[in-house]
Amino acid sequence: MNPLAQPIIYTTMITGTLITTLSSHWFLAWVGLEMNMLAFIPILMKKTNPRSTEAAIKYFLMQSTASMVLMMAIISNNLLSGCWTTTSYINQPPSLMMMTALAMKLGMAPFHFWVPEVTQGTPLTSGLLLLTWQKLAPISIMYQIHPSINIHILLTLSTLSTAMGSWGGLNQTQLRKILGYSSITHMGWMMMTLVYNPMTTIFYLTIYIILTTTMFLTLNLSSSTTTLMLSRTWNKSTHLAPLMAPILMSLGGLPPLTGFLPKWIIIQELTMNNSFLIPSIMTIMTLLNLYFYMRLIYTTSLTLFPTSNNTKMTWQLENTKPMPLIPPLIITSTLLLPISPLLLTFH
Amino acid sequence: MAYILFTLSVLLVMGFVGFSSKPSPIYGGLALTVSGVVGCVIVLNCGGGYMGLMMFLVYLGGMMVVFGYTTAMAIEEYPETWGSGLEVLGGLLVGLMMEVMLVLWVLSLNEAVVVVVGFSDTGDWVIFEGEGSGLIRGDSIGAGALYDYGRWLVVVAGWTLFVGVYVVIEIVRGN
Repeated sequence: MNPLAQPIIYTTMITGTLITTLSSHWFLAWVGLEMNMLAFIPILMKKTNPRSTEAAIKYFLMQSTASMVLMMAIISNNLLSGCWTTTSYINQPPSLMMMTALAMKLGMAPFHFWVPEVTQGTPLTSGLLLLTWQKLAPISIMYQIHPSINIHILLTLSTLSTAMGSWGGLNQTQLRKILGYSSITHMGWMMMTLVYNPMTTIFYLTIYIILTTTMFLTLNLSSSTTTLMLSRTWNKSTHLAPLMAPILMSLGGLPPLTGFLPKWIIIQELTMNNSFLIPSIMTIMTLLNLYFYMRLIYTTSLTLFPTSNNTKMTWQLENTKPMPLIPPLIITSTLLLPISPLLLTFH
Repeated sequence: MAYILFTLSVLLVMGFVGFSSKPSPIYGGLALTVSGVVGCVIVLNCGGGYMGLMMFLVYLGGMMVVFGYTTAMAIEEYPETWGSGLEVLGGLLVGLMMEVMLVLWVLSLNEAVVVVVGFSDTGDWVIFEGEGSGLIRGDSIGAGALYDYGRWLVVVAGWTLFVGVYVVIEIVRGN
């Protein structure tokens, strides 16, 4: 992208999200979502090839359909209640339409089919923004409408998201598709306790953003986008090869790493509300997620794939690529569990 | 003419069917212009004289003209019109048939008179208060309030339109 155009595009993307999160009028919340989507399209097309054009078109079609449904919900809510404020109660039919629209925006099942395709067609840094920053605005709206959401449908969407995200990622070798399916699974987990304790959703979102940012930036260091390219990490940046293991295990939710903490809180919230079957199903489904992360750990650090002898000397040369923020992100994404009472101030 | 608003709404939907059956953009622009004219007349009939004429000026006289010029630049040798292929003609006929059936169903209802004739609300945009003459037209005072109470919205909308042009140029740049 032209360096003169970059400040305007990135500023508009950030401003759109800020307008959505900070507005109390439904119309301005919608305007912020549209600004965000409009400015994100050229970020998806940073490298112009037909694949990224296809990814940008798919993203645009899905998000604008969701915005249309959201606008219809906003107007029918105004017709029924006369209210334009985001903090007041929403009637049930518009609330259902709003939840559907926001599920489409977030990539929850059964509207999840665009997430791996769009993440695959874009460079790694655009995929990072797609899976982290673009989730902030819709989740802020869902946080504001959480008293009016139909519990049954939201729990159905969450369970479906976990199942589809886990099963879909099983046969993948492309790393961006794996991270896309992982995002679908995490969205399912996030929306489970929205009705019971919405602060757990925000907490899960924070930890998820830290973990996904760590993964994307680590992959960006060696520019690896397939499992085969990941298997050369020991040669390119030797110190990172064994560090991928705790990051991926944290993403999969293994104790005693950070990724276990939000899942634990969500299971606790659900069992406090007398629901035992749903957290059991979700936990068992997420084990499939852990399986394909373990496959990545296997190719990165547990085995060395056969290579020719003249490629084996890259690790001796000095690596000049800068590592943006990776050391503090790795520490945050693996070692936060002991300070959990400090983090869980909403209990 | 008591049921003018109902007739105009039916004509609006038929115009929309004309371009959503997806002919070539030049014909779609024609149907969009016709639908726009009917929409403006609906707004005029609801009492919003200022709004309707504004829409004529800006939407039809500004945006549609620019759209017409750009599609004329990108035209192909044999553009697809409504009678040129079975897909477009089929979509058009299905849409028109559904609209006719809906009109017949509405007219056969018991409270059809309420829907058809009582639909008009021509006094909607006049507010009977205010100092001076005691009468304020809601539509023209709204355009003034846009720069007063709605200043932030004008800034956001203007910035978004500007960024829209930027985004389109970035996407079609191609390198």
